[in-house]
Amino acid sequence: MILNLVNWLDDRFGWRAIWEAIFLRKIPHVNWFYTLGSATLFLAILQGVTGILLTLYYVPTPDHAYDSVVYISTQLPAGWFIRGLHHWGASAMVVVTVAHLLRVFFSGAYKYPREATWITGVFLFLIVIGFGFTGYLLPWDQKAYWATTVGTQIAGVAPVVGDWMLRIARGGDELSAVTLARFFGTHIWVLPASLATLVFVHLYLVIRIGITAVPSREEE
Amino acid sequence: MDKSQEGKMGRRDFMKAVIAAISGVIGAAIGLPAIAYVVGPALQKETDEWIRLGSVNKVEVNIPTLFKTVIEKQTGWINAEEEFSVYVLTTNSRDFVAMSNICTHLGCRVRWIPDQEGFFCPCHNGVFAKDGSVVSGPPPRPLDRFESKVEDGVLFVKRG
Repeated sequence: MILNLVNWLDDRFGWRAIWEAIFLRKIPHVNWFYTLGSATLFLAILQGVTGILLTLYYVPTPDHAYDSVVYISTQLPAGWFIRGLHHWGASAMVVVTVAHLLRVFFSGAYKYPREATWITGVFLFLIVIGFGFTGYLLPWDQKAYWATTVGTQIAGVAPVVGDWMLRIARGGDELSAVTLARFFGTHIWVLPASLATLVFVHLYLVIRIGITAVPSREEE
Repeated sequence: MDKSQEGKMGRRDFMKAVIAAISGVIGAAIGLPAIAYVVGPALQKETDEWIRLGSVNKVEVNIPTLFKTVIEKQTGWINAEEEFSVYVLTTNSRDFVAMSNICTHLGCRVRWIPDQEGFFCPCHNGVFAKDGSVVSGPPPRPLDRFESKVEDGVLFVKRG
């Protein structure tokens, strides 16, 4: 009965073929370092889930941002847990992404025919850094405020376009309600949309081309 | 897991079971706290407290008298001030009936119109009598009443 329904659905969706292409593909005999990409994907999903939960209560205005964060951490059941996962997951995300990047670099996995996978990966790394930078401001505490003051100031010292970039990032001369709102919007809309799109391309390429074997001297 | 093979589980099936179990544990570790996190504020009950309305001398016999007061309320991360209104009726200047001004139909505010001797709701024409009972219109029950007390000539109601 249930099997009939599953078969009926598969006739129309063809999800079994997709499932097999993703999870039952042949891979070379590799080591644990080759799981770092999957670990990054897992953390990205975790950040997505906890981030969505945080937006249920977080308010991106100077009046209420800090108070709403305190409310999440101290008043809500498991609020400390959800926010803690998002907070530490953010650091873990950067660490694991860099580890994945280094593994690909040192195993030479960026070479033909995987250059496009590597390039999308580099952009994904920049997006992860962008998440970290914009998310850091959102609690709107002293650390967040001054870290973003410094961070945007660094953009300001770039030659020619520096001042222009600083003003774009801050939405004016100084950190303000405008800055907080645009960092929030970037953090929860612009970057997730970019990330999802590029992850899709990145994974498509990984599955289409297959992953590299561990490099060995005999193949020289 | 296929138990028909009596303990002979293949490597592939074993890995499948392990992966499913780990996924389940991770899903529960996030999912269960997430449920508590989402429904948490809905489960918080307002604490009962006596609210000071004012002097009982203001209440005239047989005329519903409106008391307005502002109460501080903590909603989420905001300390809000909320206006709280109660109609008080007495027939003998000793016993007081405190009635909510919230229509029992869909929550609009009712108003006492002296000329017509009734509480009128502007939303769907609900009408209540002096004692709060329904005269006409859609309200399903009389106006809600608060527990009240008088201390040193000052009227208090309990909000629950």
